[in-house]
Amino acid sequence: MKGSWWKWLVADHGARYTARLVALIIWQLVGTAFERIPTPTATIGFLVDEARRGELVPNLLVSLRRTGIALSIVLVLGILIGFAMGRWWRVRFLLSDLVLVGIALPAFIWALLGVMWWGFSNVAPIVVCIFSATPMLIVNTHEGARATPSALRAMSDSYRVPVRRQFRWLVLPSMMEYIVAGFRFAVLSGWGAVLLVEWFGNDQGAGYRAHYYYDSGNFNALLGWGLVMMIVIMIFDRAVMERILRRYRRWRVGSEVWSGQ
Amino acid sequence: MSTTELSLEPTPGSLPAERRRGVATGYAILGALALLSVWSAFATFVFEPYVLPPPWAVAARMWEFTTSGFVLAQFWASLWKTLLGWVLALVLGIPIGIAMGRFRYAKAFFHDLVYLAANVPLIVYAVLSLILFGISSIGPAVVVMLLVLPAVAMNVAAGVESVDRGLLAMSRSFRRPSQQVARNVIIPSVIPFLFAGGRVSFATSWKLEALTETFGGTIGVGFQLQKAFHTFSVVSLLAWMMFFVLFVILVERVILVRLERRLFAWRSPVAGSGG
Repeated sequence: MKGSWWKWLVADHGARYTARLVALIIWQLVGTAFERIPTPTATIGFLVDEARRGELVPNLLVSLRRTGIALSIVLVLGILIGFAMGRWWRVRFLLSDLVLVGIALPAFIWALLGVMWWGFSNVAPIVVCIFSATPMLIVNTHEGARATPSALRAMSDSYRVPVRRQFRWLVLPSMMEYIVAGFRFAVLSGWGAVLLVEWFGNDQGAGYRAHYYYDSGNFNALLGWGLVMMIVIMIFDRAVMERILRRYRRWRVGSEVWSGQ
Repeated sequence: MSTTELSLEPTPGSLPAERRRGVATGYAILGALALLSVWSAFATFVFEPYVLPPPWAVAARMWEFTTSGFVLAQFWASLWKTLLGWVLALVLGIPIGIAMGRFRYAKAFFHDLVYLAANVPLIVYAVLSLILFGISSIGPAVVVMLLVLPAVAMNVAAGVESVDRGLLAMSRSFRRPSQQVARNVIIPSVIPFLFAGGRVSFATSWKLEALTETFGGTIGVGFQLQKAFHTFSVVSLLAWMMFFVLFVILVERVILVRLERRLFAWRSPVAGSGG
């Protein structure tokens, strides 16, 4: 029965599991070979210890709460501004250069400024997250608003459908895919921004813990927290965003099938 | 990589094109002026100058840095590390990308690793650089390589997959040597994808480089930002922030766009920029 497992091994799933295994083994070997580089076992060991000390979950929750609050604000601001830019050309020309600058600005510069202005508090992470994540969402929403079928919009205009109803029943559904795609980038950059602010100056949160261990020269811990930061974003991407995207694509797929008959 | 394209195409049917362009510029200037005046008002009436310096103070600081040649030296120090990272990424990423485009197994093998790399927050890369290299010049280059590698591999793979099978079959029938096929068929269809990928990820790689310097560096734009932070100089920080934005916009909107137009002048308009 060599055939069946060999077939599994060279098929897609087999290749992906092999890749993961190879990556882990290489990491372990490199970690064992060099003094400076932590091994996977040591990193996981640290995370277990950190959880036992009761530092892992509370600090992670602090960061998640800050990101959550900020991103809800980002969602509202980004959609409204993006919609306005797509709907009224005056607004678009007024804001497009500023949005461009907002995208060119990296989160860490905002983070440095935020720490200088607001110090050790909840304000700095939240405001910095809003500043660095909103432009991403605006750009994508704006594109979505412009992708709205213009014939439908013209019809709504001539039948005097109020802007609010147009927004709810025409613009929002056609923007949804763009919003979700933009929100994905916003989450990635917003989460990074919160972590950066916590690293540069805070007394709680995942970024603060990482910096704390950096100062004490504990590289296992530093990598452990880095791993946690990555896992959070991947879980969110896999479990939340993918599902939302599929849900909002559903009607599109359906309509394609329908019109194709 | 995000779709950071702001298209300024006119709205259908509101104003004639040339007048609309004039109005558009007017509105853009109005937006910038509004921001500047709000900033000035807050700086003059609300905050102390060490908290929020007025725009003219920042401009003066920028002038000071520029005339002494300080800016150019710092930007160059950061830029060569970024470029070194790109060269490393191309050297490693092109073979991986070709393998991914040619073999189904390679595509599946690298799939998860590419996905993983695309979801790493920049801070994790910066931390990695600190762990691996401490405070050095190699660290930033290596993490830029790690950041850019998946984009290079993905785009090369897409380019290889897009090669015209008919042309390949024809070359085989006419018994063209494989070197010639590579030069005249494969490379021309890969390059546009590679360039599109590069244009999208340049800004991110540049940001990562500066961030790594902020975490631990001795020279460069990121280090200057860190110095401004540690000496609590909001003026210097804002000045470097402005330089940073100007540089990103200059590279992304002017240099790379021009280069792309020149390189692909022989192609049909804007092909391959979809990346």
